[in-house]
Amino acid sequence: MFSTSGGQQRSANHAQTLDSISSRRSPSPHTAASNVIQFPSGTQNGAISRIEDLFESIVDAISSGDELAIPYQSTRSSQNGPSAVHPRSDARPMDVVRFPGRTVQEAKRFEALFRIIEMSHEALLSGNLITKRNIYYQNTTLFKSQSVVDDMVDNLAFTLGVGREDLNIVAAAKGLISGPVDLVLRDGSTHSCDVPGDTGMMLPSTTSIRQINFRNTRWLLVIEKEATFRTLAASQYSKSSRAGHGILLTAKGFPDLATRRFLSVLHTARPELDLFALVDFDPHGVAIMRTYKHGSQRLNHEENATAPRLRWLGIHSDDILSNWPKNSQGNSDSSQSQASQDPDSQVSVAYSFDGSQSQRPAKRIRISKTQGPSESISPLTQIDRKRAVEIMTEISSAEHIDSEGDDQMRELQRMLMLNIKAEIQAVDNYGDIADWLDGKLDI
Amino acid sequence: MALAAPAMRMASSGAFLPRLLPPTIFSTAMIQLRVRQFSLPLFPSLTLAVPVGFQLGLPSLPSILGDIWESILKAVPKKKTSHMKKRHRQMAGKALKDVNSLCKCPACGEVKRMHFLCPHCTTTHSAEIFSLAPTATSLLSASGSSSIHVHNTTDPTFPLQQTIPAAHKLGCHHVCTARGGLGHVAASVGFGGEIKVWTLPKPTDDDADTANNNNGNNNEWRLDWELGPTKTNGGDVWAIALSSDEGYLACTTSDGRIHVWDIAARDKIQSYETGARGGGSFAMAVDLSRDGRLTASGHESGAVYVFNNDAGRMVYSLSGLAKPVRAVAFSPGCKRLAAAGNAGVIAIYDMEHGEHVGNLTAPSSRPAWITSLDWNDTGEYLLTGSLDGKVRVWDVARGVCVATHSETDTALWSVRWLPKTERALGPGMGKSEMFCAAGASRSLAFYREATGS
Repeated sequence: MFSTSGGQQRSANHAQTLDSISSRRSPSPHTAASNVIQFPSGTQNGAISRIEDLFESIVDAISSGDELAIPYQSTRSSQNGPSAVHPRSDARPMDVVRFPGRTVQEAKRFEALFRIIEMSHEALLSGNLITKRNIYYQNTTLFKSQSVVDDMVDNLAFTLGVGREDLNIVAAAKGLISGPVDLVLRDGSTHSCDVPGDTGMMLPSTTSIRQINFRNTRWLLVIEKEATFRTLAASQYSKSSRAGHGILLTAKGFPDLATRRFLSVLHTARPELDLFALVDFDPHGVAIMRTYKHGSQRLNHEENATAPRLRWLGIHSDDILSNWPKNSQGNSDSSQSQASQDPDSQVSVAYSFDGSQSQRPAKRIRISKTQGPSESISPLTQIDRKRAVEIMTEISSAEHIDSEGDDQMRELQRMLMLNIKAEIQAVDNYGDIADWLDGKLDI
Repeated sequence: MALAAPAMRMASSGAFLPRLLPPTIFSTAMIQLRVRQFSLPLFPSLTLAVPVGFQLGLPSLPSILGDIWESILKAVPKKKTSHMKKRHRQMAGKALKDVNSLCKCPACGEVKRMHFLCPHCTTTHSAEIFSLAPTATSLLSASGSSSIHVHNTTDPTFPLQQTIPAAHKLGCHHVCTARGGLGHVAASVGFGGEIKVWTLPKPTDDDADTANNNNGNNNEWRLDWELGPTKTNGGDVWAIALSSDEGYLACTTSDGRIHVWDIAARDKIQSYETGARGGGSFAMAVDLSRDGRLTASGHESGAVYVFNNDAGRMVYSLSGLAKPVRAVAFSPGCKRLAAAGNAGVIAIYDMEHGEHVGNLTAPSSRPAWITSLDWNDTGEYLLTGSLDGKVRVWDVARGVCVATHSETDTALWSVRWLPKTERALGPGMGKSEMFCAAGASRSLAFYREATGS
């Protein structure tokens, strides 16, 4: 999973190697030592003991002949039912799962839950990580679908009062990272994220990271879209930016817990790193940015998954609308130029490796002649509008609305007023967003 | 101009562009690319010297060079003006002059620049102002903040008369009063989808004088009726309009319907569909004619529909604007309908026969989106506000723009004529017509007819 295409597996004597890297590549007078941050190995937070307590109580129940029970609280208790497999129509509160229970469903749920706890226990004892997908494949007929496992794992973690990672259960990595930093894992291997090409590197689990060498990176950009990430990674923007060296990060859409954890680790480990988010100008983009920043509602019990210093770089309504006066005077500023983003071209960026990219500009020339916001924007759908109102309600119900909240509120209101949304590609220059970023990244 | 070639972005897709462009476009693209980029650290071995004039005058360059220019041509900032230079200019009397023309704002007492709007008074809202609604004596303004402000328009300083706190929690996007009506009813819509109807207590005979002098406590707007977001079955409420007798409220929804409510009976009396059930295009604007006979709606799809309220059916489906329509307005005589939006032109329709009788077009090749539209009381002039911050006054008979004001370069969301009053508003103010513009600058800007001639 963590293959490094650069072939930079350095296990022995890594400190010396890192020294030589930083002296070779970084012109800054910083020593490597100040940029290397160590992570002490995490404690298990008592997850083992809690699971074993649970087992003990079950054994006691068996020996005394009582009904077996596992405490189980849903993180969505205030929301709709978790899934169709066990509807919440039954009157009994869902705070406990019993065996044999009253229905066949409940017996099955007990079995599924017990199986997950058992696997988590195994994983904790052996020190390995187990993926949620792996749990599902252990017994596909029992779990029926992946979402059942996902819900159960989150609810279990919530019930036990620990994070999902404390159970040694992780989701398969979704996040990608690219940039001149090195990650040293607990198994001793060093992974440089500075890989050539547009693929970036899969994010390892945060618990498996022992040390991060930030070299001389100064900023981190979280990108909503994999396509944009790949374009920037391929052009080595993390090293060619005017703002100095930086890190690119994406979770390919809505962020998963692993990516948020990783961002949170960087957030706390290196306070001087400037964090920016680049998302679409639509309600989902704002929601994604807020999830990185404040965490999600459903996984609110997970700790260390927020990055309050994250700043919303764009795109804002001004970026889309500000090009009127310039356009009327002969398109003097092409960094604001518009190009439409159709789904086909995005797919071609995301999955093409070389040649097919050259076809894209050809398609865009036609569009670039009629520059203007109307080409790159699309109207909001009803779902978008509902989502926007939801986010606004969320912002306004916060205890205190800070300037960030005001900012988000204003952008959402403008979005609704104008009834438009725009992709990140609305501000790029025929697929090259680097110039726009150069102007925006202010450090 | 010394330039460097790190040549790092050559692999990016942008670098392919110049080769594929025809030569004419290529030369303009060249200038653009050169202007906006910035210099990277210089590597002496790769330094090139490119005379700027030579490069600009060239009609086309060998296309292979495009890749290089794209990656190396970075503008260099001007040298910082030294302290000595600045001081020399100052001594020679060429420095920036001090601003001495200051006065005290009559409204708030703060120091302000003479002949300029007071920044302390005019920043009335903490968020963008999305909508304005005038009555004969006051102006209601709704913004992204939760409160609605009421300013007195009979006083030359436009003092804040009332603040309605927590009117709409998520902010308010539309507020309206009856055109040509008494001005005792107002309605507002919040981003949460709720409609609120506000009323002024009707002045009785004995306190009519105090109400006219704006001293009485009876002059405060009160909440009369609240319509929850769920009451409109499907689709968020967007634009609203009040009939001139202040008895009916029309509101549009995001699924293209227009609902008409009887305010006194608190009942929905009419519902117009503009598409297949729930599938209509987003209705962004609505207006009721002053005689109460017609309802017009402007839609995202560019369509404008006119309904006959007596018959309860659509009478005209007007085309002509292919882009979203953001404002529709009936003329005071109900003979004409004006519609405008993203197309940047104002289309005028005849309401006798439903014909498109003319367009008012700005001279700019790419007119900005028009967000707001209003007829003056005589029907001679049209007022428009657009996203580029320009207020325009159009002479409808001649079909030309007679005045353009560009005090702000931020978006304007709403422009409204103030109803003509019989009283002189203050020294030097006369009985001239006035209008107000507001938007992203968060301030209200009042304009009056110049009294020069």
